[in-house]
Amino acid sequence: MPVTIADCPAEAQMTWIDVAWTAAASASLTLGGVHLFVWFKERTQVARLWFFALSVSVPVFGFIELLAMYASTPAEYVVASRWAQPPLFLIVASMVGFVRSYFGTGRTWLAIATVATRAAALIVNFTSGVSVLHRDVTGLARVELWGGVVVSAPVGTLNPWIVLTVISNALLAAFVIDATMALWRRAGADGRRRATVVGGALLTCIGVAAVMGFFISAGTLRSPTPLTPLFFVVVVAMGYELGLDLLRAVQLSRSLAESERRMDLAAQAAELSFWSWDVRRDRVWTNARGRTQFELDTAGPTTLADLLHRVHPDERESLSTAIREAAAQDKPFERELRLSLPSGNVRWIGLRGQREPDGPAGTVLGVAIDVTVRQRLEREAAQKRSELAHLSRVATLGELSGSLAHEINQPLMGILSNAQAAQRFLAHDSVNLDEVREILADIVEDDKRAGEVIRRLRPLLKKGEVQLETLDVNRLVGDVIRLTRNDLINRDVATNVSLANDLPRVRGDLVQLQQVLLNFIMNACDAMDGQPNPTLLVATRLDDGHCVEVSVKDSGPGVPPADLERIFQPFFTTKDHGTGLGLSVCRTIVNAHGGRIWAQNDPAGGATLRMTLPAMAESK
Amino acid sequence: MSSAREIVYVVDDDPSVRKGLTRLLRSGGFASETFESAQQFLDQHDARAVGCAILDLAMPGVDGLRLQTALREAGSVLAIVFLTGHGDVPSSVQAMKQGALDFLQKPVGDDQLLAVTRAAIERSRKLDVERRELADIEQRLATLTPREREVLGHLVAGRLNKQVAADLGTVEHTVKMHRARIMEKMRVRSFAALVRLAQRAGIAGPPPSPR
Repeated sequence: MPVTIADCPAEAQMTWIDVAWTAAASASLTLGGVHLFVWFKERTQVARLWFFALSVSVPVFGFIELLAMYASTPAEYVVASRWAQPPLFLIVASMVGFVRSYFGTGRTWLAIATVATRAAALIVNFTSGVSVLHRDVTGLARVELWGGVVVSAPVGTLNPWIVLTVISNALLAAFVIDATMALWRRAGADGRRRATVVGGALLTCIGVAAVMGFFISAGTLRSPTPLTPLFFVVVVAMGYELGLDLLRAVQLSRSLAESERRMDLAAQAAELSFWSWDVRRDRVWTNARGRTQFELDTAGPTTLADLLHRVHPDERESLSTAIREAAAQDKPFERELRLSLPSGNVRWIGLRGQREPDGPAGTVLGVAIDVTVRQRLEREAAQKRSELAHLSRVATLGELSGSLAHEINQPLMGILSNAQAAQRFLAHDSVNLDEVREILADIVEDDKRAGEVIRRLRPLLKKGEVQLETLDVNRLVGDVIRLTRNDLINRDVATNVSLANDLPRVRGDLVQLQQVLLNFIMNACDAMDGQPNPTLLVATRLDDGHCVEVSVKDSGPGVPPADLERIFQPFFTTKDHGTGLGLSVCRTIVNAHGGRIWAQNDPAGGATLRMTLPAMAESK
Repeated sequence: MSSAREIVYVVDDDPSVRKGLTRLLRSGGFASETFESAQQFLDQHDARAVGCAILDLAMPGVDGLRLQTALREAGSVLAIVFLTGHGDVPSSVQAMKQGALDFLQKPVGDDQLLAVTRAAIERSRKLDVERRELADIEQRLATLTPREREVLGHLVAGRLNKQVAADLGTVEHTVKMHRARIMEKMRVRSFAALVRLAQRAGIAGPPPSPR
């Protein structure tokens, strides 16, 4: 069916096909340009680059397709039809690439097979027949499309290698279906929409092209296969999704900014500061509060050394190690330390740091909070506790003063009478030097004894800091009983002592623990006032292997059950002149030692006051 | 020295105090014996002993005050001196009320201790003399017949022989006979001496006549 040029529509007159093809091409190029720009700014989004490739290939293909449709001779048609194949290859390749990078799914072998068969078709395109589609084109049929537009359709024999394009299309369809389903299964609502829109457009495009191809090759339909609109649908679908992503990114950045503002507000309210350390560049960043807190220069970069320079020398080394370990071994740290600031101020801060979560070893992130006030309050509270303990101790010793005077006056009496006896002997002519020597030895002994009493007493009266040391509880019990001995005698109290052998040592403040025991004994004695045969049992034992228990049992009337707990409360007293502080201070002391204190009544009568102290590990 | 005979008993639970006191007392010329507890002292003590007891106030078991009570009840003439490690007003008041000679606070200087000891021994000695005299009088009184004791009572009350005879329903001569016998048995020369003896022995006159 020969066609002459005169039959062809005049070029001067634009048809709707010209308009549609041109519009699709320019829209495609515009979209592609936008996303090329985005890719340029954000190189990780490779899908945008694939999209750009597609958006360029489609207009090129469209232009060649137009040439084919307006071909006036078979030769013209053949040239156009042959050169339509390279952009078509690029289109298929960028579709595959886009799906792979945008969906993150799709089987690699399917992708490779699709592109490979398409490449094979491209080779055949230039080596066999007039194109991969036709062995030869003998003529052009004139086909009238919708709107009265007349285009050319080829007449000739098909190239048997056309099967390659069919296989390639089938593979592409398989690849897209597989990738879309995989994304559908894996993703949430957002991903499913993405799968539907992009996958749907692609499959529609492939499907329509396949159906049309089938009818044309079967001879049922006489028409060219206008693929450009189909490709344009794909471009629009992909562009729509990528555009939505941009929109989301904008929303995300807005909500990020908002959450940052909220975070700042919270940080300000909590007086928190943030800091981070870039290990490779050795740069420390902090927010504004952090710069004030650490008194860092507002201008110029800060290094880790600058930051550490603000830390008290005693703690500098260990903090440096902690931060480096956090970076190297992903080991978070938390500590309280002193800052010695350039202004001369000393502040306490709590510092926390850890490697950036899921990040490389490159950055350590952390927060800092000013705890100066809390530290001061804690110190003040500790001092108050210590003062109260001291007062209560002195009060207890006051009750014992008579006995203590006795304890000191006994050896003084020995010293004085021995010394004066010696003076008198020496005044006589016949001096027995042996006896004088003996007297002097006795004086020395008595003097030591008096000194010992004072030694035991002095720390109890002293107002000192808490000093933790390793203690033998049995020795502590012995010391306190020596101090109270005379009082016990005066009160006619029979005292029994039962000390366990091989007790582990405990860690504690000797004076405070003596104070507790002293209070126990004094309370027991007070409880037995006016009772017949007052008896006291002071015992130590190992309690289930982890604690050393000290108990003082009396033979008094016992404690009313309702008061067993209340006797440890401040200002609770049953005595006429009691302050009600003794046992409450004891409880504070024992709790601070990590121990327990309690009272119980014995079925056989009398009450027992007990305290347990954690035993130290056997490694002395 | 005159004090050689008397012994100072030291009761104190503190061995070094016992030793020191012993030496000091010896340097002052006093012999002493020491006891570590009140009980030990009570067990070994001779109630007739004359001398001084220096007691520690606060001792385990029986304390100084109770020892003092026990000694008094046993009729001891030991003069008691308390030593105490610290002044305790109620105890000192009780001790003095019970007749302690002194209440000293440790440590005590030699002069004070020796002076108090000397005074204590002096007092004990005096008490001992009195006790002996009284015992002697009691002994002589014991030789009187009941009738003679009756007559002695009347005479000490200052009644005349005539009145006594009337009271007892006898004659004056018999009363005179009794009186001579009494004076002989009591070994007194004068009637005034007899009255003095009787008064020391605590013999008073008969109750006033009902008539």
